[in-house]
Amino acid sequence: MHEEKLSADIENIVKKWEGKKGSLIMILHDIQNLYGYVPRATSLQLSNYLDVPLARIYEVITFYHFFKLEPPGKHLIQVCMGTACYLKGASDLLHEMRDILGVREGTTTKDGLFRLEVVRCLGCCGLAPVVKVDSKIYSKVRKDQVADILSEYEQEKAVK
Amino acid sequence: MDRKIVYIKDTGILQPERTKDVYAAFLNGLRERGMQDSVMAVRAADIGVYNQGVVIKVLPDTTYYNVKDGDINRIIDSIKEGEVPSQGGKPVQDLVTCKEPKQLRIVLRNCGIVDPDNIDDYLARDGYQSLKKVLFELKTQEKVIDEIKKSGLRGRGGAGYPTWMKWNFAKQMTADQKYVICNGDEGDPGAYMDRSVLEGDPYSVVEGMMIAGFSIGATKGYFYIRAEYPLAVDRIQNAIDRCYERGLLGNNILGSNFNFDLEIRLGAGAFVCGEETALIASIEGRRGTPHPRPPYPSVKGLWGSPTVINNVETLANVPYIILKGGDVFARVGTATSKGTKVFALTGKIKNSGLVEVPMGTTIREIVYDIGGGIFNNKAIKAIQTGGPSGGVIPKDFLDTPVDYENLQKLGSIMGSGGMIVMDEDDCMVDIARFYQRFCFEESCGKCSPCRIGTAQMLNTLSKITEGLGELTDLDNLRRISQAMQKAALCGLGQTAPNPVVSTLRYYQDEYEVHIINKKCPSKKCRNLLSYKIIPEKCKKCSVCMMNCEAKAITGNKDDGYVIDMNKCVRCGKCFEVCKFKAVSKE
Amino acid sequence: MSKITKEELDNIAKQPKKEDKNWIKVGMSSCGIAAGAEDVFKTLTEEVKKRNIQVTIKKCGCAGMCSVEPLVEVNVEGMPQVTYGKVDKDVAIQILDDHIHNHRLVNDHIYDIQVKKANG
Repeated sequence: MHEEKLSADIENIVKKWEGKKGSLIMILHDIQNLYGYVPRATSLQLSNYLDVPLARIYEVITFYHFFKLEPPGKHLIQVCMGTACYLKGASDLLHEMRDILGVREGTTTKDGLFRLEVVRCLGCCGLAPVVKVDSKIYSKVRKDQVADILSEYEQEKAVK
Repeated sequence: MDRKIVYIKDTGILQPERTKDVYAAFLNGLRERGMQDSVMAVRAADIGVYNQGVVIKVLPDTTYYNVKDGDINRIIDSIKEGEVPSQGGKPVQDLVTCKEPKQLRIVLRNCGIVDPDNIDDYLARDGYQSLKKVLFELKTQEKVIDEIKKSGLRGRGGAGYPTWMKWNFAKQMTADQKYVICNGDEGDPGAYMDRSVLEGDPYSVVEGMMIAGFSIGATKGYFYIRAEYPLAVDRIQNAIDRCYERGLLGNNILGSNFNFDLEIRLGAGAFVCGEETALIASIEGRRGTPHPRPPYPSVKGLWGSPTVINNVETLANVPYIILKGGDVFARVGTATSKGTKVFALTGKIKNSGLVEVPMGTTIREIVYDIGGGIFNNKAIKAIQTGGPSGGVIPKDFLDTPVDYENLQKLGSIMGSGGMIVMDEDDCMVDIARFYQRFCFEESCGKCSPCRIGTAQMLNTLSKITEGLGELTDLDNLRRISQAMQKAALCGLGQTAPNPVVSTLRYYQDEYEVHIINKKCPSKKCRNLLSYKIIPEKCKKCSVCMMNCEAKAITGNKDDGYVIDMNKCVRCGKCFEVCKFKAVSKE
Repeated sequence: MSKITKEELDNIAKQPKKEDKNWIKVGMSSCGIAAGAEDVFKTLTEEVKKRNIQVTIKKCGCAGMCSVEPLVEVNVEGMPQVTYGKVDKDVAIQILDDHIHNHRLVNDHIYDIQVKKANG
C-alpha cells in the first residue's frame, strides 16, 4: 500500500464526513469498505486528521465485531449462527468448514484464500441454515454440500 | 371467457402424491361432464390451511376441507349448477367449514406489493397522506400524540412501552434541538421483520419518523441500521434521496413550515447497541456502552438533547394509525396490547417466514394454522420468543393468546418478534447454553454483574452439557440469575439470564438427567452421547471403520466391529454412514 | 424531479385506485435474492423482451413466505392474481408459456390466488 495513495484515500473519506458530529464509526466503515479491514497505518493517519488519540480510535475498532484489524482472506466465509440456523445444524456446517479448511473461525487459511467467520444472524432465518461467501448467500445448506461450495472458489488462484 | 378456477391440495401427511391423484380424479370428473374448458383446475403448492386432509378451493369464495374421494363429483356438480354463494348458488353444504383468515397486515401492508425503490408506488398506496393529515388537519403536536394514545400502540422492540408516552415526554422538553432515532439494530438472532420492512417498505418507516419528529418538535432524525443488512441500508438511503428530490425531506415540507432531515448511521455488530443509551453512544461515534437510566433519552438523549427512539415496526404502524384513526387501530388486539405483531416464525416449522397476526392470536394458531405445523411431522417441544432476552414456552401453553402481559407471565417476553419453534430433538440445556454464550460474547463489559455473570453461567452450562455438572450448579445458576436481574446496568444484562431461568423453570428434569445420568435425552449434547454397533443389524461391511477418523472402530469381516468409546470423538460419522442403521446413538 | 405538493397528494387521494394489470413482480429482499431471485428477474426480463410480451417486470419486497422464495406474483388480463413460489429459471419460463401465453395456471408452484373483487 502506498503511503501517498493511502493519505489521499483517508483525506477523501474524512472530507466526506467533515462537519458531521460523531462520524468516527462511519469513517471506519468507509475505510473497511475500501481495504477490507482497517490497516494500522490508516488509523494513525486518521488520528492526525481528526485530532483524536489513536487509543480512542482503537477503542472503537475493537469494541465492534464488524471491524477487522487484519486483512481478510480473498473470500470471506460467514457461517450464520443465529438461533434458527443453529437449530437446523449450523454447528455441523461450521465443523465441516473447519475440517476442510483446517482453520478455526476468525482466522484465514495459509494460502490467504478463505477467511472463516461466524456471524450472528444474516436475517435469512426462513432459509436456515445459511452460509454466506463474499456477497452470495447459500440457503438450506447441508453438510455434504460444504465441499462443493468451497470448490467453487478454490479454482481461482490464491492471492500472492 | 370466464373460467372457474379450482385449486387442490392434500394438506395431510401423505402429500404430495395424494394431491396428484385427487387432481387427476377431478380432471376426470370435469371431462365426464364436458366441463374441462369452463373450469381450470390446478395443483397448489400451498393452500393456506394445514392438516385438513384434501382441500379444494373453488374461487372466489368456497373452500372445502377434508374432501373424500366420493365428494369430488358432488363438488363438480355444484360448480356446474353455479355454486357461488355471493351469486345465489349453493355449495356442497356439508363440506364447508368457515375459517377466518388468521393474518392481518398492517405493518406489512406494503411489503411485497410496492417496489421499494419507487416512491410513486408508495404514493399510490396512500403514501404521505398521513403526513399531509398531520400537517394540515391535525396541525398540533397534541392532536397527533392523542391519536397515537388512542391507538394504544406500544413499542415493538421489546419492552412494550407506550409510544405516546415516550413522545409526550420528549414533546414537553424545551430544547433547541430534538432528535428522532429509528432503531434498526435488529440484534436478536432469529428475528428479521425489521429487515423485511426496511427492505420492502422503506417509505413507511421514513413517513413514521417524520410524524414522530413533528409531534415532538424534532427537525432531525437518524436511522441506526445494522451493517449486516446492506440491502436495507441501500433501500433506506435511496428512499431518503428520493424524498429530498421530491421535497418530502428538507425545509418547508409540502409547503408547510415543518422541516425535517434524515441520515443513516450504521451499526457495527454489537448486540448491546439495541439498548437505547448504548445506541446513542454508538451514533455519537463512541463505544456502544449503556449508561444508567434515568435520565431517559426522551429527557437527555443524543448529544444531550431530548430524543425519541422507536423501533422499525413501531414506526411502520404510525402512518396507518394516523390515516385510519387511533380508534380503528385499537379495535384490533387485546385489552392491553393493541394492533398486530409481526413474528419471524423459524426453527422446526414447515412454513418458516414472517407472519403478522392480531395481538391475542394463540401460539397454536400461529404455529399450526399459519406455520403449517412442525417440520418433518415431529412433535413440538416448545417455542422461544424474545431471543437472548426471552424465554422458552413449553407446548402445554400453546393456547395462550399472545400479548405483552401473557408472554411475561410465562417467563418470556414479546421481544422484537422472533418465534423459534423447537421439536423433540432440541435439548433445552443446549439452548440455554447457546443463548448464554451469545450474551457472554455480547456483554459490553461495563458492569460486573453482566460481565462476570454471563461468563460464570456459560461455564456452568458448558460443564453440564459436557457431563461434568453437579446438582449444586442449578442453585448457582439461579443465584447468579437473580443477581444479574437485579444489579446489571442495562436491559441486556438484566434479561440475559431469562433463557436459563425459563428452561430451569420448565425443564429442570432435563437438566437433572444431564447431571445425574450423564445423558442428553434429546441426543444433542455431543459429549454425553455413546455410539454402539448393534451386532444383529450389522452386515459387517466395514464402512463405519473406514470412515472413523479417530480409529475408534476395530474388528474384521468375520467377527464384526466394535466402537471403543474411550477413543471415540463423537463425530457421528459412523452413525451417518451406516446404511443398515446398525449404529445406535444414545 | 418535481417537488410533491399538498395539492398533488390531494389529487392522488381523490383518484379512484386503479388496479394495474399486466405485471409480474419478483420478491427481491435479502431472502429472495439469497434464494435466487436475481436470476429469475433476469430470465423474465430477457424472455419478455425476446418474445415481445406486454408485461412489466417489477421488483418488490418480501411478502413473508421466506421458505418458498423466490416468489413471483403475476397479474395479467383474463387471469386471477397468482403468487408462485420456489420459482427457478425453468418455472419462470413455464409461467410465461402457460400462465401468460396459454392462460393456464402452473401446477405445483401456486402459493396464493387472490380473488378479484367485483369492482376492483
